[in-house]
Parts: sequence; C-alpha cells; structure tokens
Amino acid sequence: MFDVKVKPIEIALSILAIIVLALAPFLLHEYYLSVLRMILLWLALSLSWHFFSGLTKYVSLGSAAFFGLGLYVTAKYLEQSMRGNLAPLPLPLVVLLACVVNFVIALVIGLATLRIRGIYFAILTFGIAVMANMGVQFWEIRITGTRGTYLPLFDAKTVYYSVLLAALVVLLVTTILRRSKFGLALRVIGECEDTAVHVGVDASKYKILGFAISATLISLMGGCFSIRFSYIEPTSAFSSDYSLLPAIMTMLGGTGSAYGPLLGAIVLSLLQEYLRVAFAHHFLIILGVLLILIVLFMPDGILGLLRGRRAILRRRGQV
Amino acid sequence: MLDIIVGGAILGALFSLIALGLNLQYGVTKILNVAHGEFVMLGAYMTYLFSSLVLGLNPFVSLLISALLVSIVGLVAQTAIFRRIVNISQSAGELEFRSLLASFGLVFVIQNVVRLTFGATPIGVPYLYETVSLLGEKFQLNMIVSAIVSVVIALIMYFVLRFTRIGQAMRAAVEEPTGAQLVGINIGRVHMLSFSIGALLSAVAGSLLIMIYTNITPYIGPEYTFIALSIIVLGGVGNYVGCMAGGFLIGYITYVLLKWEPLLRLVVVYMVLIIILVIRPKGLFGR
Repeated sequence: MFDVKVKPIEIALSILAIIVLALAPFLLHEYYLSVLRMILLWLALSLSWHFFSGLTKYVSLGSAAFFGLGLYVTAKYLEQSMRGNLAPLPLPLVVLLACVVNFVIALVIGLATLRIRGIYFAILTFGIAVMANMGVQFWEIRITGTRGTYLPLFDAKTVYYSVLLAALVVLLVTTILRRSKFGLALRVIGECEDTAVHVGVDASKYKILGFAISATLISLMGGCFSIRFSYIEPTSAFSSDYSLLPAIMTMLGGTGSAYGPLLGAIVLSLLQEYLRVAFAHHFLIILGVLLILIVLFMPDGILGLLRGRRAILRRRGQV
Repeated sequence: MLDIIVGGAILGALFSLIALGLNLQYGVTKILNVAHGEFVMLGAYMTYLFSSLVLGLNPFVSLLISALLVSIVGLVAQTAIFRRIVNISQSAGELEFRSLLASFGLVFVIQNVVRLTFGATPIGVPYLYETVSLLGEKFQLNMIVSAIVSVVIALIMYFVLRFTRIGQAMRAAVEEPTGAQLVGINIGRVHMLSFSIGALLSAVAGSLLIMIYTNITPYIGPEYTFIALSIIVLGGVGNYVGCMAGGFLIGYITYVLLKWEPLLRLVVVYMVLIIILVIRPKGLFGR
C-alpha cells in the first residue's frame, strides 16, 4: 500500500530546505521569522486541504472547525494544567490528544455526510465550522461563564520550531499517502466516483478516512500554532480565514501535486503580508479583486499556466 | 404560542425573500454566488444613503432606487465575472468551484468598499417602528409591513415565473439548459435577467431590514448568505415552493431561538440542515 516513488532530486531539495528552515531562527530578524512561520502555517494547511479536497474534488469549507478545535483543545488543556486542574503533560502529547479528538469527530462527520456531494458538501462543511465556533462561544458564555482562554507564554523560537515540525509532519504524511494507493483512490474518486466504485475502489472507506486524515492534520497545525497566543477566544480561533484561505491558495497554485498548494500558499501569504503593510485600508479589496482575476485568467492556477506553456513549447518543437 | 406563529411567519417571509433571489440565480445560472448577503447589505446601505445621508427620501422611495442600483451592480458582476466563468468552465464541478471562489472575492470587495465609504459603526433607518398589537402580542409595525411586502413580492415572482414568457424561459433554463437553447431561448439574456432580479430582490430585503434593525454593519452579509443557502438546500435548488417552505421553517426556528437562546441560533439552523441532508442528500423537496 505504501510503495512510494520519490526522485533523488526531491529528497536532496527537501533535506536542503529542512536544514535552511531549521537554521532560520538563528539567521533571521524576529519579524522575518514570524513571516516565515506564517508561510509554513498556510503551506501546511493548504497541503492538508489539498490532500482531501484537491484530490477528491469534494470542496470542504470547514477547515476552520478542525483548526479551531485543535487550537482550542490544546489551549484549554494548557490553561487547565497551568491552574492545576489537569495533570501537566508535555506539549507534543497535548497536541496529540487534540489530534485524536479531532480524528474521531472528523470520522463521525465523514460518516454522516458520506452521501452528500458537490455544492451541498461545501455548504455543509462551512456550516460545521460556524457550528463549532458558535458552540464553543455558547459553552463559554453560558456554561463555564468565562470568555476565552489564557495560555502560558512560549518564546518565538519554540513557536517557530513547533510550527516547522508540524508542517514537516503534514508534508511527509500527505506526500506518502498521496503517492500511494490511497492517493490514487482519492484521485479516481475525484475524476469520477461512479467509475471508481465500478472498478472496485471502496469509495466510502477512502472518502471517510481521507477526510479524517486531512482534518487531523489541520488540527495538528492548530494545536502547534496555539502557543503563539497568550490569549485566545473562539472568534479568532475559528476565523473563516482558516476555511477559505487554504482553498484559495490551493486554487491559486493548482491541484494534483504538492507543488500547487506549496506555490499558492507561498505566493498568496507573501502577497497578503505585503499588501497588509503597504495598503492597510485597501488590502482586502485588492485581495478580492486579485481572487476574481485569478479565477478569470488563470483558472487552473500557476501550475496550469506552466503546464499550458510547456504544452505550447512541445507543440512548437514537434512542428 | 400565538406570538411564535406570527413572529416566526414575519421572519420567515423576509428570509424567503432573501432566499428567493439566490435560488433564482443559482437555479438558472448554476453559479453559487456567496456574495448574495453582500447584495442584501449593499441594498440596506443604499437606502441609508438616500434616506439618512443625502436627499432624506422616504425609506420606501429609497428602497426602489436601491433596488434599481443594486440590480445594476448584479448585472455588472454577472457580465464582467460570472459569464466569463461559465464560458471557461468545462464541467459543472469546475463551474461551481470557480464561481464560489470568484464570489468570495466579490464578498471581500463589496464588504470593504462599503466599510471604507460608510464606516463600520452600526446604522439603521428606523421607520414605522411604533408597536401594534396583533393577536395579543406587540409587534413593530415595520416588521408586519415588511412581511407583507415580502409576501407580495414572492407572489409576483410566482406569477412571473409561472405565466409569463420570460418566466417560462427561466424555468426552462433551470430544468433543461441545453434544450432551452435548442428551442430558441436566448440563454445569455435569461442569465443576465435572473442575476439582476436576484440582486434586486436582495436589495429590497436589505432595505426592509435596515428599517427594522438599527445594528446594520458592513459585516452582516455572510449570515444572510448562510441563511439563504440553508433555505435553498432545504427546499431544493430551483424549487419555488420548497424555497418558501424552507424560508418559513428557518424563520420559525430562528424566531424561537432568538427568544430562548440567541447564541445557538445558527447552530440549530445548521443542525436541522445536516439532519435533513443526511436523510435526503438533495434537500427536502429535491429530486
């Protein structure tokens, strides 16, 4: 199931990238480090989103639910253990706990939404993110009577390494699964689900598992990112940015391989950061216009554009 | 008990009006315009502009101007953006995905243009806000008036769709897009028309909302989009009766929850939606 083909050049490039990224905190100014951390976060979220939605074409707009829950479970556990209500655990174990919780929730959601296709699936998953947000708000205001969660402080390097490590896990897991039989099954489902079932792919199993794995990876990012904050409340933890941006970034890059989400996430998060600084007031308008222009003029993303160019060159070569 | 029956019906009528516009747009053009709530918000701000900022018109006169202006905006969005997306998309899935993303872009643009122009402080154009009692319960007059306006517009839409030639063309475009073209229906014109009517209806709804509520901000759009989407999913795409029934169902749920626990409003709406979708993946009235 897991016989994965990797080109030597890819291994070499990955190792080089990991070394550079691991050394970054010692080389970069604090601001640039936070930009790098942000890129890593969006990159990992886009990869996780692409693993399920990009391959199966089941557009999920519910990433914020899992990101927020991963973040919130981690934060709550840290807060409670700080106050002595829960046994103190090392951070990785707390994040792991959050991931397990999310995996189970995602399995249940996957089972329930199995028959729902197309636009209905997108609306439903968006609804799940809204529900998670409102549910946590309700729980805080009406039941515990507190607002938000306070976290212990972590220094910038710890935060950076935790995000980097989580992003590497996401890259590794999605790459291995995508290039194995699992990924092939998801891809076939994306091409034509009825055909997939006909040729003997257990579509239900792969869909549910794929959705749950993607959700778990998203919650892993949420858990590892939570220590960036000293105070967190539901509205920012479940911000719809976390649902929309991974989808938009993947779309910008192009679907099919890891390079699409990678490219899209890097380009868009850098652009966003630049616009935020340069045009603070107009930045969302510019982003909106850009989004429309991307859809109109490069509908298959950056990868599609490159592929199109290569196809033209090849045709010229033949003539 | 009586107040729930009346109050829920008032909300339901308004919600149905909002959903009707989106249903027409999505049913005819298969473009999922998640900026629909933004058109509602834009309609509200246009009424605010002409009644409170300049001219000081009667809100119902502003409503007409607002409806006209917003339907032009809808028309421009359709011709400049969505028609192109239809042309470059090869499959239904591609079209849905792309129109979803482009309309998210439109959400950012409209929301922030309004915020930069009018500011983000909550506004309202209170009109006819004296209370009248109806079946032993007090209601604001403007709520009753807007419910009546919504129902009248919905009925007009029903007759237009059912009996006029252009209405028949629209229904043909919903049911059989290729066949409609074969029998000589100008599908491009039908798309343009249904998109601008959809925008017009949402502007009317927005103008009514701003007469009732005084906490309208540039950020109210998404909530109405989601309400409209859940109504359409409940009622089935392109289904007029389903849309009205879904509107009233969501209206009642929202009204009860506003009285009992406002925080859980959207949670319960989505819970109902999920349960119905799990049992019937194409909606209550879907085929």
